[in-house]
Amino acid sequence: MAARRDFYEILGVPRDAPADEIQRAYRKLARTYHPDMNKDPSAEGTFKEIAEAYDVLSDPTTRKKYDAFGHDFRNVPDDVDPETYRRARAGGARRQAGGPGDADFEFSGADFGNVDIEDLFGDFFGRSARGGRRGWGPIAGADQEAELEITVEEAYRGGKRSFTISGPSGPRTIEVNIPAGVVDGQRIRLGGQGGQGTSGASAGDLYLVVRIAGHPRYRVDGRNINVELRLTPWEAALGASVAVDTPGGEAKVRVRPGTSSGKRLRLKGRGMPNPRGTPGDLYAEVRIMVPESLTEDERRLFEELARVSNFDPRSGR
Amino acid sequence: MTTALVVASHGFTVDAFSRASGLHPDLVNRLVALGALDARRTAAGELRLPPSQLAAAARIQRLRAGFGLNYAAIALVMDLLDQIEQLRGERQWTRIA
Repeated sequence: MAARRDFYEILGVPRDAPADEIQRAYRKLARTYHPDMNKDPSAEGTFKEIAEAYDVLSDPTTRKKYDAFGHDFRNVPDDVDPETYRRARAGGARRQAGGPGDADFEFSGADFGNVDIEDLFGDFFGRSARGGRRGWGPIAGADQEAELEITVEEAYRGGKRSFTISGPSGPRTIEVNIPAGVVDGQRIRLGGQGGQGTSGASAGDLYLVVRIAGHPRYRVDGRNINVELRLTPWEAALGASVAVDTPGGEAKVRVRPGTSSGKRLRLKGRGMPNPRGTPGDLYAEVRIMVPESLTEDERRLFEELARVSNFDPRSGR
Repeated sequence: MTTALVVASHGFTVDAFSRASGLHPDLVNRLVALGALDARRTAAGELRLPPSQLAAAARIQRLRAGFGLNYAAIALVMDLLDQIEQLRGERQWTRIA
């Protein structure tokens, strides 16, 4: 079992902090981590810690007991002397280590290493912000939100995907069905996978906000996909049928003679699929490339072209 | 099943909502008056709360427990949280469009 964090440390206040400083620290932290202010699943556990620490330290009686007995304070009867308790604990530890026991005090049935914290404090909403029982019944958990980064190919094809998120009981792995044709920013709802409810109330939902990761070839814009179409000068001048990669496989694009750089050729319906309508388009943007170094023949032919051609791309600008 | 269908089409009465949310009926009426819960009135003048308000009721309880706010302040906080959510959604929509 992981060591529990000190309540003062959780709230970031010194042990002699006055009540108003404890309240100020709690409110500030609550504004950051409260499940209705922060939808990140990892905030849930943090807020539980904060609420529990405040619940104890905001009540002078429980604070005094916590100061005297630490995290065991709820198991210690009211009339126990802190010094006697401390010696009894120290003696118990020595006995466990095989040393001679000198304890003059025993707690019957108390196993401090095995307290079920969830049972004791899981229902933090059942306690008021001032520490006393307030009588709320079960409260449903809050909805949460997490970002799910996927590749363009995953968005195109859809399919199953596992991911891990942190929660109050540690990290958990969730499997999600990504619908084919999901777009950047789309929210996928996972019912009952959000914040925990209290006292048996239902959990909230987890919303996954899809982020489509950058891709070396494809630039996704909504359902449309833009790709660069590299052409040789002669393909651009004479026209050609050129293969272009799309997330759905290779497609042929017909380049008309006299196509210049920057022209966008549309492949209708070859963008992202749309489960509820027409798919997006794929736009191939022409970029004319020339060889970095020319062979002798290439140089001769280009020089001849330069000599005979009247074409001036800068005229009329 | 039948009950669920009736609720889906007509909404909860205050008593039914009270049972489902764990809030006292007087508190449900008060939260409706404060605008923290949405409800409509039937021709007979009775309040009906849509099922979506159960999530709002849970949020009210969480905000009350977490911040010790009074209900009028909670109504304001909920409006602001809704507006933030809407703005985030609109920004997203602009990006998609």
